[in-house]
Amino acid sequence: MQTRFHPLPPILKVENLSISYATRYGEVEAVRQVSFEVNRATTLGLVGESGCGKTTVAFGILDFLGPNGRIVEGSIKFQGRELVGRSEKELRILRGDQITMVYQDPMQALNPSLTIGEQLAEVLIVHRNIPHAEAWRRSIEMLERVYMPDAPNVMKRYPHQLSGGQQQRVVIAMALLNNPALLIMDEPTTALDVTVEAAVLDLIAELKRDFDTGIIYITHNLGVVARICDQVAVMYAGELVERAPVKELFAHPLHPYTQGLMRCVPKLGITKEESRLYPIRGRVPAPQDRPWGACIFAPRCDYATERCRNERPMLREIALGHSARCFYAGEIDPSAWQPSKEIDLPVVEPRAASGYGTVLEIENLKTYYEQPSRSVLSLFGLGKKQHVKAVDGVSLRVPRGITVGVVGESGCGKSTLAKTIIGLESPTAGVLEFLGFDISMPVTRRDVKLIQELQMVFQNPDSTMNPAYTVGQQIARPLQRFKTVPPHQVYDEVIRLLHAVRLDPSYYDRFPSQLSGGEKQRVGIARAFASRPELVLCDEPVSALDVSVQAAVLNLLLDIQRRYGTTMLFIAHDLSVVRFFSDFVAVMYLGHIVEFGSAEAIYAPPYHPYTEALLSAVPIPDPCATQKRIRLEGNVPSALNPPSGCVFHTRCPRRNLLLDQGKVCEVETPPQRYNTEQHYILCHIPLEELRKMEPVITTL
Amino acid sequence: MFVGDYMTRHPLTVTPDTSIVEVQGIMAENNIRHVPVVEKGKRLVGLVTRQNLRISPIELSSLNVWEITRLLSGLKVKDVMVRGKDVITATPDTPIEEAARILVTHRIGCLPVLEEGIVVGIITESDLLTQLTNLLGLQVPGWRATIRVPDRAGEFAKITAAVASRGWGIDAAGSLPTPRKPGYWDVVIKISAATRDELVAVLQQIEGQELIDIRATGP
Ligand SMILES: Nc1ncnc2c1ncn2[C@@H]1O[C@H](COP(=O)(O)OP(=O)(O)OP(=O)(O)O)[C@@H](O)[C@H]1O
Ligand code: SF4
Ligand code: SF4
Ligand SMILES: [Mg+2]
Repeated sequence: MQTRFHPLPPILKVENLSISYATRYGEVEAVRQVSFEVNRATTLGLVGESGCGKTTVAFGILDFLGPNGRIVEGSIKFQGRELVGRSEKELRILRGDQITMVYQDPMQALNPSLTIGEQLAEVLIVHRNIPHAEAWRRSIEMLERVYMPDAPNVMKRYPHQLSGGQQQRVVIAMALLNNPALLIMDEPTTALDVTVEAAVLDLIAELKRDFDTGIIYITHNLGVVARICDQVAVMYAGELVERAPVKELFAHPLHPYTQGLMRCVPKLGITKEESRLYPIRGRVPAPQDRPWGACIFAPRCDYATERCRNERPMLREIALGHSARCFYAGEIDPSAWQPSKEIDLPVVEPRAASGYGTVLEIENLKTYYEQPSRSVLSLFGLGKKQHVKAVDGVSLRVPRGITVGVVGESGCGKSTLAKTIIGLESPTAGVLEFLGFDISMPVTRRDVKLIQELQMVFQNPDSTMNPAYTVGQQIARPLQRFKTVPPHQVYDEVIRLLHAVRLDPSYYDRFPSQLSGGEKQRVGIARAFASRPELVLCDEPVSALDVSVQAAVLNLLLDIQRRYGTTMLFIAHDLSVVRFFSDFVAVMYLGHIVEFGSAEAIYAPPYHPYTEALLSAVPIPDPCATQKRIRLEGNVPSALNPPSGCVFHTRCPRRNLLLDQGKVCEVETPPQRYNTEQHYILCHIPLEELRKMEPVITTL
Repeated sequence: MFVGDYMTRHPLTVTPDTSIVEVQGIMAENNIRHVPVVEKGKRLVGLVTRQNLRISPIELSSLNVWEITRLLSGLKVKDVMVRGKDVITATPDTPIEEAARILVTHRIGCLPVLEEGIVVGIITESDLLTQLTNLLGLQVPGWRATIRVPDRAGEFAKITAAVASRGWGIDAAGSLPTPRKPGYWDVVIKISAATRDELVAVLQQIEGQELIDIRATGP
């Protein structure tokens, strides 16, 4: 056990920092009197919804505020020395190369026209005067340190030849070559798959320990915070509202905003029947609309009093190391909280045992994309055509009124499956029936009646909205096209739909550019449900949204689904959300459904080895929960050349349970074994063996 | 047990042009007594300590407050620091006892730790004393037993065998020649798995050795 008698000075000490931007509303304060410290070998999580000023704080520390931003007051001490008020030249010397930032998009830090090796070695050659050969050697070492497979070869490649997770590792390796005292990471894993995210988070935790680096980790994901942060600072509308050690924060959140955030996220293992998500009403006010002489959270707070509206609370220490900016912190008991009448909560009825009637019937569906072969023969039309087997033999029956969730890493064919059903891709083979009708033709040749019954909600509502049309016109279009209501009732129907997605009639005349992300997604939902479809496909409908908005949109979907009795196919990478939202779950890997079962069945043994790995990777918002640590190697292989036998055999951590290290997995397609009538697993390992495994997640 | 494992990484540093007033502030605020001086790329060029910053009492008595302030405000780190080659340093693979020896022989309080001229850490006398306490397991709650053994092969093995026979583990151990009693060594072991009475019973049984002290330690 290592203990120190005298504490080391913090790497970074931010005190009373306020930052403003010059805008057309005049100078507005984006960050207000924020204070925190970052110590060696500790990770401080900076959490809060979009627009709360997290990135602005980071840019303030780095002096990247741009021409219209400036530090209004406060102090930033890095390694004991004040940064505020220094000239650019002085700052460069003071910071040296000791502060490094890692962004969400690794390509922001990589030069696409230089090889990885050139970029890494340059850090040492230019900043440290280290000779070329030595720099090259150390760069390889560092790549190996961040678990880059085949490091010497990766040195010769260009950034675009690496996957997103590998690019992010390169960026982290590059940051570490400088041996920075402070590493600022802004959503570094948000763009990555859960499995890759898990590996990168492990890496960050390990590096913090080995290099004694202080880390500021910016994220909106409470699960990630619980997994890797030691300290947490919660930001709301530019202010720091709560600060505490991670376990303390999750066990005793003191500020009503923090408490609200925690009620927005589904805990893994919770279903819609057992529990509700409670969105925080209202939204983060824009910087120019933030009051000074009041609690900034008062308009959204269930505990607000006169005092809160007339006086600004200060950040006070309530328990040792635990501070909150609320007059009543410590007195409020979150367990006694009741939802206010202003938030609408969906009524969820227990699902019918197996629905009535089948809406969607898929049998051995294959969707291949043809890939032009690069061989010379192909020039003469002689070469073998190559196929990307995006969906490769999927069978699925979706009963009426039921939600089937589809999970899997990116590249597993989830979206292709959705596109094939909706008619944007044509199936290569197999049966695809909707309401008993064959729909294996493209959408353009489908009967308008079928199109009306089969709608989709997209991840990015922007991509499907015409910026020139008002919200009202966007929603009216499907109504007119499918003649859902007579022409003279279209307006009323639009208003009714707006109401259903909780937007008031004033939104009718707004343009998409005047909407927030959550509002756009509501319009997208209103539009999808306008034609009263039988089946709605949702492709990552909430992954681009903030947690409180996410909760509201999920509730909305549940509510509309219940009202219209709609059947849903819900595609998402977030297992907690899928489990919460779905009745049944299909786990997809490389074009195959490897496990299918009720939501409860999927989250308890027996697991398919892939499901087990996914569950062990998902960050869960509970720092006291223990999770089995199973990490998959590498990426999903190319669907151009899927592995033989079991498609998962190249990455399967459980093969060794079989004879000969699972030789059979390389040659034979695994059998579909039924655990119950409605739960099957595609694996050579007998169910009895799989049943013996420990559950992945145990909560205290 | 090498310097690299116990040094403080990312030490606070200053540049040659930092003013003395600022360095004093940094030292006071962060409760430190040594600051390496670096130039671009964290290359070591010097070291300032609290001693360097002290004005000699003789000088002090001859100046008034204003003169002192003026003197200090004009001074830079480069005017008072121990310069480049005169700074005694260590590398991450220096053994800690060697680092301690260097500190003692040169009567200094810290060693900047360098890797090819670049400052990667600092190790101070208090870091080393901290490790001494860790070495003897002070920070683990449990029993600290001192056993006096004759200076001959196999004595330590007797202790470990006796302890192991009960299924306990030794959390920490150290030994030194007994002061003022040639021919004997004092062995200190730290054990947390046993009760005091159990431990005493086991240790007293060892032939030819003497249990001279047992006490509880821990935070
Ligand atoms: N260059 C700028 N000029 C004017 N206003 C800005 C500028 N950059 C950010 N803002 C505003 O400052 C506030 C804080 O923004 P910031 O990007 O720091 O939030 P964030 O917490 O990082 O959000 P996200 O989670 O979306 O990244 C927002 O209201 C934003 O619109
Ligand atoms: S100060 Fe008042 S309004 Fe602000 S968070 Fe506390 S109770 Fe709510
Ligand atoms: S069949 Fe073999 S490779 Fe495939 S999941 Fe089962 S054990 Fe793993
Ligand atoms: Mg941001």
